Amino acid sequence: MVQERRILYEHLDTPNINTYDVFRQHDGYTRFEKAIAEYQPEEIADMVKEAGLKGRGGAGFSTGEKWSFVPRDIEPRYLCCNADESEPGTFSNRYVLEKNPHLLIEGILICCYAMGIETTYVYIRGEFTLGKKMLDAAIKEAYEQGYLGENVRDTGLNINIYTHPGAGAYICGEETGLIESLEGKRGQPRNKPPFPAVQGVFMKPTVVQNVETLCNLPFIVGNGVEWYTQMGPTYGDARFDPPKADPNTGTKLYCISGDVNEPGVYELDLGLTCTELIEVAGGLRGEEVKAVIPGGSSAPILTHYELDTRLDFTSLTLAKSMLGSGGIIVMNETRNIVDCLLNIMKFYAHESCGQCTPCRWGTPWVRDIVQRIADGDGRQTTITRPKFGVTESGRWGDTGETEEIYEDLDLLENVANNIANVDTMTWNTICVFGIAVSWPAVSYMRKFRPEFEAAIREGKLVTLPVAEATVPPEENYAYQQRIIPKEFADL
Amino acid sequence: MAFIKLNDLEIEVEDGTNIVEAAREHDIEVPHYCYHSGLSRPANCRMCLVEPYGPIPGAPPGTIGPARQLATGCTLTVRSAPPERKLEEKYDAIVRTDSERVIKAREDILEFLLVHHPLDCPVCDQAGECDLQDFSYRHGHDKSRYLEVKNVPPKKDLGPDVLLYSTRCIVCTRCIRFCDEVSGSGELGLINRGSHDEIDIPRSHEGIPIQLLDNKLAGNVVDICPVGALISKDFLFKSRPWFMEKANSVCSGCSVGCNVTVEYKTDGVYRIKPRFHEDINQHWMCDDGRLGYHYVNSDDRLQLPQKRVDGELVTTQWADALTLIAENLSEVDAADIVVIGSAQGTNEDNYVLQQFAHDVLKTTQLGLFGQLPGEEHKFPQFTIEADKNPNTAGARTILGSANGNVVLEGDALWEKVAGAKVVYLVSGVPERALEDAEREALEKVDFLIAQDVLPSAVTELADVVLPGTTFAEKDGTFTNSTGWVQRIRKTIDPPGEAQVDWEITQQLAKQLGGEIDYHFAGEIAIAIAENVAGYGDATHQNIGDAGIKLD
Repeated sequence: MVQERRILYEHLDTPNINTYDVFRQHDGYTRFEKAIAEYQPEEIADMVKEAGLKGRGGAGFSTGEKWSFVPRDIEPRYLCCNADESEPGTFSNRYVLEKNPHLLIEGILICCYAMGIETTYVYIRGEFTLGKKMLDAAIKEAYEQGYLGENVRDTGLNINIYTHPGAGAYICGEETGLIESLEGKRGQPRNKPPFPAVQGVFMKPTVVQNVETLCNLPFIVGNGVEWYTQMGPTYGDARFDPPKADPNTGTKLYCISGDVNEPGVYELDLGLTCTELIEVAGGLRGEEVKAVIPGGSSAPILTHYELDTRLDFTSLTLAKSMLGSGGIIVMNETRNIVDCLLNIMKFYAHESCGQCTPCRWGTPWVRDIVQRIADGDGRQTTITRPKFGVTESGRWGDTGETEEIYEDLDLLENVANNIANVDTMTWNTICVFGIAVSWPAVSYMRKFRPEFEAAIREGKLVTLPVAEATVPPEENYAYQQRIIPKEFADL
Repeated sequence: MAFIKLNDLEIEVEDGTNIVEAAREHDIEVPHYCYHSGLSRPANCRMCLVEPYGPIPGAPPGTIGPARQLATGCTLTVRSAPPERKLEEKYDAIVRTDSERVIKAREDILEFLLVHHPLDCPVCDQAGECDLQDFSYRHGHDKSRYLEVKNVPPKKDLGPDVLLYSTRCIVCTRCIRFCDEVSGSGELGLINRGSHDEIDIPRSHEGIPIQLLDNKLAGNVVDICPVGALISKDFLFKSRPWFMEKANSVCSGCSVGCNVTVEYKTDGVYRIKPRFHEDINQHWMCDDGRLGYHYVNSDDRLQLPQKRVDGELVTTQWADALTLIAENLSEVDAADIVVIGSAQGTNEDNYVLQQFAHDVLKTTQLGLFGQLPGEEHKFPQFTIEADKNPNTAGARTILGSANGNVVLEGDALWEKVAGAKVVYLVSGVPERALEDAEREALEKVDFLIAQDVLPSAVTELADVVLPGTTFAEKDGTFTNSTGWVQRIRKTIDPPGEAQVDWEITQQLAKQLGGEIDYHFAGEIAIAIAENVAGYGDATHQNIGDAGIKLD
């Protein structure tokens, strides 16, 4: 049985950890003080790179590498903390904000020190009123204690934190959408390049980091790189010679919800399998696993054949899915995949910012097609192809093979792929919202096609038994992809 | 300069040029909606996707291949690269606009654009000059796969001259960016989100407009709208674009001298649209100029000469009017004659007029008449000047070009007029009210010859009225306030027996035995080039469509 390894969440349940005094008793701000006392800013950045910390917000991009893109000769530079946690199925940041906000402030301080940043904006999801209240109180305390403001703890550093509530748009969790919203404009993502690291908030170099990523920094500094890299697997990318290390180090806050007995946030090492994770969360509620969404609603779904997939950035990428924000949704045999997709598509059609053409008009179209299938109005044609062969009467003639054509399924796949192509991983949209729409649409449809076909054929939603509903792995496009790469091996 | 390979062409372009512009220079079409060279580039229509080439990650050095993602041509700018980053050792960029992926991407985007489009081309004003029509025809599908219900957002009245047919809108945001960046007034914005995006003006909760789209540049949003969403009320349902003839001309509304295209049929001018000129008006023009053409089509236009009989103006024949004028002019001393040219007239009109005054009448007393000054309007990227005449600078120079000529303006002019016996006033200024001093001065004149296009305050006082022509009915040149000499072109025929102003003056000269004999405006321009300092190059041939700037 896998045990939780609580690092970020260690003191989550400690009473009054949200106050400075209690936080201080539990090593609070000592890591920051250690950073200032023992390391140069560049050394901290190198440590983060060596530790292999990957951004926890969704893309899983190496944090150290991202920092290295920030030009250090342009002033001012900004840190923007992304606390707009709005991916369906994700709820780990809010506990940090509500229960242990000083940890986030310490992470911000270390990042500011490492990058020479004086101003930090924390963009908090509008619905997190309690989280914002707690963070604001903690920031006030930190100012009083001299950790924020001018000349922090007599080190000559000036660090200020400003909190900014969002107004409820999903797309403002996208880094450039967030920046636009922060600047007071419509929350619409920007074209990239230039990336925020070069031109971000107010067109100045900006580091945009998720709450969870920043919360990892105190522990990397406090306990050292070696301690940190023990956790989680490191793969070798054999496309390079010698294989390039592809670390998935550290712990991840997995938000497990759906059909498990004890849903909640679990802090575990990266690299555990789905099966292990379900076990940690009190086991499955129901008879058998039908599907698992591994990384928030935009991640491609995993079938019960794929439960041995390791839940880390690299393994899930190879499985043609993604770890994303770590929002894991488990579904048992009673769930109807068409219905699930409809639910997700309604969300995306509502949340499309409407800036660029394919997403603005493609997303509601995809929703409408799924809606039509779910309503039982999906289109289907039976065509007869002439085929020369031995007929029933024993003579040579046209055997008239028939074939079922599900036009709406082809249309669904085609329209979704026109927004963003999941096979080539290219998108015609400005931001990755496009792929977040077509990933679920195409993967649900391809992996659970029998259930979609049944809905069209029967004219209503039909929940098939798990084995019948799932496309077998050898026919499953993602599964084939998953077993190919021998180029990735444990180092 | 950057050396790039565009499809199979090897071309040189300026550093910082984007692919849409680079391709346009070489007649390669990169379809686009949101991109406009005078505005910022949000790259939101995704129509101009092109395929850039670059080094392939993981492949041996020097291997060039298409990039994984297509890039938008409007934001993909090219610059000369350092030698080690040249592609195939010589190109600064390699871009394809005709690859399979690009063609497929265009088809896909067009399909999305037409999903909610009402396809009401038969009743849409834009049909025939619509980018959505053109690009669909050239790059799109021939049928729709969309079965669902289309969005039907409401039609909106945005301002005095602009209607928004929201159903046709493709949310390219050109109009919003125009109001933000060029006019700086920011009336337009997006409301709602996602597929319910709509362009709108600020409204109260009840839907009552708080601010209308009524800035002086508002009409430009109609021009830059790539589809038929923004429609000019002035032009609504007037004509199909392909039935109209077009002529490159210059706006006569103020001294900026915006380059325009006059669109007309035989029965009149239908609309005026701005034409690009880098140094004068860029892509824009103001609504005063755009909507100021209506007097040309007016039913009240002067069609025959008139003379005053028993205090009433009655129409007469040209021969009669000219004889009458000649009689009166020959009776008085040159010192008692004042000849007033018009700042609304062309350089050619004024040149013949000063020649007439100088050579035939032997008077050196010339004046300049024009529209009363209005208000100056400054916008972030555009200025409407206070001088409401297109040719003040040109008329002033040319009237005063001969030896001894004195060009009087303002109070000095009206003092002189008050003491004169015969005044030949060429007006042609629409809707010109007379100030008290002007009226008093003109009332004192014994014999006032007024040459105008419409019955006006001037013709009311005149003893003889000669029907002249507007900017739309003659060839010639205007000189704007910054010294650009530009062509205007004849579009429609003058109404009735109205004649081009310099021809009237020339006939008068002949009546008085003068020797002025020009056959067309270009001939006068050559004479101007020969005789007027600074106008040496300003022949019609040299001026062309671009105009030339005086030293």
